[in-house]
Amino acid sequence: MIKGLLKKDLYNLASYKASLIIIVLFCGIAIVGTEAINWGSIIICTIVGMIALSTFSYDEIAKSNKYILTLPTNRKEIVKEKFILAIGATILGGILGLLLTIVIANVMNYLRPENMININYESLITTSIGGMFGISLIQAIQIPSIFKWGAEKGRIQMFILLFIIIVIAAGACFLIMKANLNIDMEMLENFINQFGLILLVALMIVMYSISYVISYRIYKNKEE
Amino acid sequence: MKNNIELQNVSKAYKDFKLQNISFDVPQGCIVGLIGENGAGKTTTIKCILNITKAEGNIKIFGKDSKENEKEIKEEIGVVLDDSFLSEYLTAKHINSIMKDVYKTWDENKYKNLLKQFQLPTNKLIKNFSSGMKMKLKIATAISHNPKLLILDEPTSGLDPVVRNEILDIFRNYIQEDETRSILLSTHITTDLEHISDYIVFIEKGKMVFHLPTDELLENYGIIKCSKEDFLRLDEKDYIKYKKEKYQYEVLTNNKNDIRKKYNITTIDKPSIEDIMLFYIKGEK
Repeated sequence: MIKGLLKKDLYNLASYKASLIIIVLFCGIAIVGTEAINWGSIIICTIVGMIALSTFSYDEIAKSNKYILTLPTNRKEIVKEKFILAIGATILGGILGLLLTIVIANVMNYLRPENMININYESLITTSIGGMFGISLIQAIQIPSIFKWGAEKGRIQMFILLFIIIVIAAGACFLIMKANLNIDMEMLENFINQFGLILLVALMIVMYSISYVISYRIYKNKEE
Repeated sequence: MKNNIELQNVSKAYKDFKLQNISFDVPQGCIVGLIGENGAGKTTTIKCILNITKAEGNIKIFGKDSKENEKEIKEEIGVVLDDSFLSEYLTAKHINSIMKDVYKTWDENKYKNLLKQFQLPTNKLIKNFSSGMKMKLKIATAISHNPKLLILDEPTSGLDPVVRNEILDIFRNYIQEDETRSILLSTHITTDLEHISDYIVFIEKGKMVFHLPTDELLENYGIIKCSKEDFLRLDEKDYIKYKKEKYQYEVLTNNKNDIRKKYNITTIDKPSIEDIMLFYIKGEK
């Protein structure tokens, strides 16, 4: 059944094909123009991740949620499918962003050997995973918001929640700085270099898991 | 006779509307019409049956609890909802591909034949379909996994008489193919039901007014047209509702043969389901 729901969303998303190609072209131009190749992967990853969430809007416009509940499925599977799609889009976006950036930069280096773009693969991978982390944070907040308030209202609530998180994070940083804590920056940097990526991936898993549990609890009690 | 749906005291309360103690059965081999004006509670009843909304009371489908066996039951049900379907940015071909992975018993050939029969294009976006075409697609999707039960919410609303007739034919054929099948059909176009339904369930303001065989309803109910003097002779127990018209009284009774004998009234008109519904809604007592 989840496969059928996934197909429904993927067919809907097929209408984004043209937009996606245009976006990729713009990213390519941006990479060539600014030589800031790390941004390309972040932008592509973010866009692909956000496009996946637009399937909620398709369902809302066609009032499909009510119809879907008449099919041989249950609310758990419906929530699960949305997360599979979101996580899949994040991973795909990360890989696509990384590969496209590498391809475009190498093509440009081949075409313009006098103006070589320096490709740091390690930094590129780190940036892509950072981009994936960013979009997964947005998705983890937005999916339960949409289940609760719908696609339109959920987007506004998501921005409010994101704003609150940023304020809390900035406040925490400010308090740490004000407390004059003696932080060993070198040790911190070493720690981030060594465990940063694992930590990011682990955090993504935790965020998605919490978001899934909240989303299911919301949708379980929702009246269509 | 076995029942495909059994409802016992089903209730649902919203802030501004209450569905109260709805009880009726949908027997195998029968078409049951659910009637009532807009907002009477027909769609809420269907939503309760399909577990789209949580309700109090007992709902059994194919003899099983509708909540505990939800997935298994829904494999055997085909549903058409007036205001809800898959996205309009899909095509009939996409629907086939999706439903193959939704229903275990999806019959691709049957679906394709129905599309041909209904003259529906396979590669055109649903948003470019007419209302009649959209409804035919919903019906083709609902019956292509050969369900034992069809639940239809306003399947003929907004359609012209030709398309409506075609759709009613589809329902007739569906029920004739297998005697264990049944249809629950909600509509406010009651003329459709006179031709195809076996039972009528009438809901008004969230309460069930009656659940009767269609034949009995059309045979036993009658409209007496009489003067004020004749009306005043009638015992209140002998009629259901009356309407005071400009020159006469119109009185609805559910026992026209007895009334005819008791009061020696010769002119009793045969009412349509719509007449009966209107008397219950607009009439006085």
